[in-house]
Formats: sequence, structure tokens, C-alpha cells
Amino acid sequence: MDSRVLVLGANGYLGLHVVDALRAEGVEPRCGRRRRSNVLGLLSRRAERVLADLDEPDTLGAAMAGVHTVVHVAGHYPRHSLDPVGSEALARRQAHAVVAAAEAAGVRRLVYVSSTATVAPRPDGGAATEADRWPAAPPHGLYHRLKWAMEEIFAAAHDMEVRVALPSGCIGPGDLRVGTSALVVALGRGMDPPHNDGVVSIVDPRDVAVGVARMAVRADAPARVILSGSSRRLHALLTDAAPHLGVAPPSPPMSDAAFLELARRSEADARESGVRAGLSVEIAELAVHGVPLDASLAERSLGLRFRPFGESLADFVRWATPLGFFTPQPEPSP
Amino acid sequence: MIDAASHDRIFRILSDLSAVPPQEIKVDDRLREDLGLDSVSSMELVSMLSEEFGIDIELEEAVQITTVSALLALADRRIAHA
Repeated sequence: MDSRVLVLGANGYLGLHVVDALRAEGVEPRCGRRRRSNVLGLLSRRAERVLADLDEPDTLGAAMAGVHTVVHVAGHYPRHSLDPVGSEALARRQAHAVVAAAEAAGVRRLVYVSSTATVAPRPDGGAATEADRWPAAPPHGLYHRLKWAMEEIFAAAHDMEVRVALPSGCIGPGDLRVGTSALVVALGRGMDPPHNDGVVSIVDPRDVAVGVARMAVRADAPARVILSGSSRRLHALLTDAAPHLGVAPPSPPMSDAAFLELARRSEADARESGVRAGLSVEIAELAVHGVPLDASLAERSLGLRFRPFGESLADFVRWATPLGFFTPQPEPSP
Repeated sequence: MIDAASHDRIFRILSDLSAVPPQEIKVDDRLREDLGLDSVSSMELVSMLSEEFGIDIELEEAVQITTVSALLALADRRIAHA
């Protein structure tokens, strides 16, 4: 059993949690990593590392030899929308490379970690389930389109069972590159981040990992599972987070249109300066087009219990403060 | 002190990541400002050092490395005691 599960992107934010969760399920995974990547987390876990670079298809074939299940946590994640054509071509090329290698290696099961960006809103405004998938590419930005397109590619894989995990925005320990936690980090650093008041769904990456691991190892797991904590309005979420971060509540929210325009300007400025955008269009799009989610299938079928946001936030702050993300708070007086 | 061969291996790693020739990298260079390494590349650098020499480096230590001299000092402490 030991080498029969391969995790692609095992050294990443979600990937490391998936490695831990698979071990908790009694599986010692083979950990795929890119040629040039930060593998400190894998080294400290004494995990088996194997070169599995999505841009080097030969390495995928070698990494998948003898593997029953591939857990794919390395899907292309566009950090900005400045090169939509190039980004889409890269995402499609990498997805096809994974499918081709898995088919050639005789992989029996593929668990692809996608995103709730592919979940469509319900006409009645109620909480959306796994059945509410966009029938065509979502009419939003690059991130939504790419995630939907990659699901299509994996769904067309031959001779293997394909399962799709749909995590919402992850906030918790391990977000070294500051992805979906960007607004929380900005708030905690006293930057009063501009924001809209869309519906956002947050989940702890450790809970996502448990869900993904069980989708990988359980024969009766569903083919498509939303992995998400509760859904709520972004302004309320940031307001609730402020006291945990020791900062003042955020200013009132702006309109969706103004928020998106701000993100586009931020990316344009970043292109000029060569630094990362303060607010990416991807984050703004997720906050503007978010839909309320029903993750009860994960609870029923995988036995998951999603941690409350406050617990995830506290653990994130505890993890991130020694790394310099936040200024240490004084201990409360007795 | 790390030996000359280890010193050369570290400078080759720095050169691979920064595309600056090893002979042009100076001990007092800053990773970001002088060698153009962003925070992600800097973490990769420390990770490569860890793999190359088989030494454990904690994340909290890795984020503190912002200069070539700090990297060499870390290598000096760890390789000598590996």
C-alpha cells in the first residue's frame, strides 16, 4: 500500500496537509514535487520525495509507476489575470499531461482538487450542492474559467475513476504564499483592506486535506464533494476577525464593481513595477461571485467536521506570527 | 567554517536561482535587492541548501535568511554539526 498513492504538489500549502491526512488514514504516500521547489515541509516529515513536474511529462510517468491512486493538488493556480491566453494554455497542457501519464501508468483512481469556483448559484438563492455545476464555463474571470476547464479535462480521463474535491477559500496554517488569506493578513497588518460584501465560504486546509485523503482511500466516497465551512458575507467575516488580530474593524465595504476595478488597477500596477499585486483579480472575482454552499455531503459521506472560522484563524495567526506575517500581540493581563 | 568545496556548492545554488554568475556573487549581497530573489525563490534557496547538504532547517529559520552572509552562517552552523 505504501507507494500506491502519489500526491502531486505534495510540498504545497494543501499538499503538506494532504500528506499528513493520508498518514492518519494509514497510507504513506509518495510525494511528488517540482524540480525547483520548497520542500522543507517534506524534509521535516521524512516523506518519500519523487520528481513529478507537470512541465516535464517524463517525470510524471516515472512517478506514477505502480501507483493506484493519484491525488492531484498541483493544478495551475493563476495568481493574476495579466496573461489569460498563456495561463489557460499552461493549465490545459499540464492537465492533459497528468491525464496522459495516469492513463499510461494504469492509475485506477484520480482525485483532483479543484475549487468551489465551478459551483453554480441555485436559481432560488439557496445553498448550492455538488449537483449545481456550471453547465458551461462560468461567465466570470480567468480563475473560474480555468478551474472549470481543468475539471472537464480530468472528467474525460479513460479507464480510471475520477473524483473531484471542491474546497472553498482556505485559511489556516501553512499558507506561506498568502493566497486566500490575503485579506485577513492585510487586515492584521493594519492595512484596512478594501473589500466588497460578497458571499465567501472559508474552510480550514486541514479539514480539506482529511476530505481529500478519504476520497483517495475510501472505495465508497462520492465522485464530487464540496469541502467548505459556513458561507457568510465578507465584511462580517473581516469584522469578526479584527479582534482576533488585535486591530480595528475594517471600513465599510465597497461595491462589487469598484472592488473589481481596484483589483484590475492593482494588477496593472504590479505589471509595471514587477511586484505581486496587492489585490488580485482572482481574489476579487471569488468574493464577487461567491455563492452560499451546502457541504453536508462531506459530513455525511466522509465523516468530516468542519472547524469554525475562529479556530482556523487562531491557528493561522499562531503559525504565521513567528514567520513575520503579524506583529506579536502582548499576552492579555491576568 | 565550511570548507571551500561546500562554499562553492552554495554559490552554485545561488547562481542557479538568481542567474548571477557565481564569481559575481558577493558575501554581503542581499537576496532580494542584489540577487533579485523574491520570497518564494528565497525559500527554494534554503530548501535546496537543505537537500544538497542533508540538513534540517526549520521554516522560522528559513524566513530569516535575507543575505548571502546569513545563508553562509546558517550553513556553517548546520553543516559543521550535521
